[in-house]
Amino acid sequence: MILQTDTLSLTLQGNRLLHDITLDVRPGEVLGLIGPNGAGKSTFLRVMAGLLRPETGRVLLDGQDLFSMPPEQRGRHLAYLPQDAPAAIGMSVRDVIALGRLPHRRTATAEQDAAAVQQALEVVGMSAFADRSCVSLSGGERARVLLARALAVEAPVLLADEPVAALDPAQALTVMELFNRYAAQGQAVAVILHDLALAARFCTRIAVLSEGALVSIGAPSDVLTDALFSEVYGVAVRRCGEVVVPWSLVSRNRVL
Amino acid sequence: MSRYALTVAILAMLVLALAILSLAAGPAGIGVLQGLSDMLQGRETIAATIIGQIRLPRVILALLVGGTLGLSGAALQGLVRNPLADPGVLGISGCGALGAVLVFYTGVSAVWAPALPLAALSGAGLATLLLLALTRGGTLVLVLAGAALGSMSAALLALTLNLVPSPYASYEIMHWLMGSLSRASLHDVLIALPGLLVGSAFLLGTGRSLDALTLGEDVAHTMGFSLRAVQWRVVIGTALAVGSGVAVAGGIGFVGLVMPHLLRPLVGARPSRLLLPSALGGAALLLAADLFVRLPVSGTELQLGVVTSLIGTPVFFWQVWRLRGRPV
Repeated sequence: MILQTDTLSLTLQGNRLLHDITLDVRPGEVLGLIGPNGAGKSTFLRVMAGLLRPETGRVLLDGQDLFSMPPEQRGRHLAYLPQDAPAAIGMSVRDVIALGRLPHRRTATAEQDAAAVQQALEVVGMSAFADRSCVSLSGGERARVLLARALAVEAPVLLADEPVAALDPAQALTVMELFNRYAAQGQAVAVILHDLALAARFCTRIAVLSEGALVSIGAPSDVLTDALFSEVYGVAVRRCGEVVVPWSLVSRNRVL
Repeated sequence: MSRYALTVAILAMLVLALAILSLAAGPAGIGVLQGLSDMLQGRETIAATIIGQIRLPRVILALLVGGTLGLSGAALQGLVRNPLADPGVLGISGCGALGAVLVFYTGVSAVWAPALPLAALSGAGLATLLLLALTRGGTLVLVLAGAALGSMSAALLALTLNLVPSPYASYEIMHWLMGSLSRASLHDVLIALPGLLVGSAFLLGTGRSLDALTLGEDVAHTMGFSLRAVQWRVVIGTALAVGSGVAVAGGIGFVGLVMPHLLRPLVGARPSRLLLPSALGGAALLLAADLFVRLPVSGTELQLGVVTSLIGTPVFFWQVWRLRGRPV
């Protein structure tokens, strides 16, 4: 399934949050959404998830308008992983992941549900914790459980808002590899990232947002240019092979 | 048999046993089965009258009012994601009682009987709506708003009864504030039954939505659940169930707080799994409490709400103790 946004704009309380964004998230790709703080990445992802209605423009899922789709059908086609989840969930790991099957409550069998939950448990490496209460987990473990909940939906489109922010490097790599495998099965993944090295390594394409507008989209090597870092982030970079390191501020006024 | 099914089965048997015991308990030594069969066959014996007019209405109301209190507590806790939510603690029952008192003592309900439950459910519904508008303020705001609503309704209720020229005013205040089934009649059952049943149906249907809400409003929405829809279901269900119960039994507190708390270790924290067990547990608790107040320990009968509060307040303290240190 392909998720498209068409000249999407949003203004809330007089602030122009998104401006004329047209892009698509294609099956088989991991699209990285990057940009400075306040660029509108999360807002854009929320619009694509059907949580915010755009002022103008449309969101299309395989050509069908997302906002006129029956909610349950939309729930099966699109999984959303927010940045911050509720603080304490008193349920077991397995029960939380099983919530991801709620959109399938009228279409899937109990066996299909159980298989999807088990698979999600395994891919995030939480099988051993299945019956533990989520309250007893560390921040990283809880993040993986919530990721597994989103994976258990088995939706053709997955939207994730900074899924690796709370993870150590090993776990972050694991999760990014997971997204790649997910995409390799033909699913479309859009993910907000702050770590540009991870974005460069794991994303098929990168979309750069700045002040609510799409300023660049394409293959990582085409997008992550010195000019982009200077113009969008206000930093000069140094390169060590493929790795890009933000090195100094271009203009202090930009940031402070 | 799963743990859930086992818990439900045991609770159902407990409710049945308590109901039978409650039918059999009383100062008049009559045969329960004899009374029931006389009643069903339309024979006007003493046993039939005592069972049909006195004990059966009381048992039915204890069962249904307790059940709906447990159910609405579980649903409210799931909706606001807060273990302190309860119709009594949050002042919903109090506002319902105030509504009932206003139509009862102005004589409106004597002219038109359905006015009593309607006024009570309006009071309960308004209180629930107000609380829901304040949920975004977090635990502290919710509980403070509940305390304010409870105190306000209690004060207005007492004021209303003091203005009524009745020699029994203070007894009446006790009845409405603490709750009692000692005057339960067949007429009460008929008045309260529709609201109790329809309200329960509304609340029992919220399970999956409440489950989805544990992941937050955004994720629930992306999974196809509308927060607004489930909020309305809970508000309407609570108003109907709690309002109708209050109209005939007064404001019985803490049943909805206690049952989900006691049952979570047995059936897990999934809101949908708590609804039915909490309803059965609430029914059992109120049947048992009503049996207890009928014990001839003192000259007069205890108020039902005194017993449920004595059981409930330690649980309330325990919940507050667990929440200490957490940001509110």
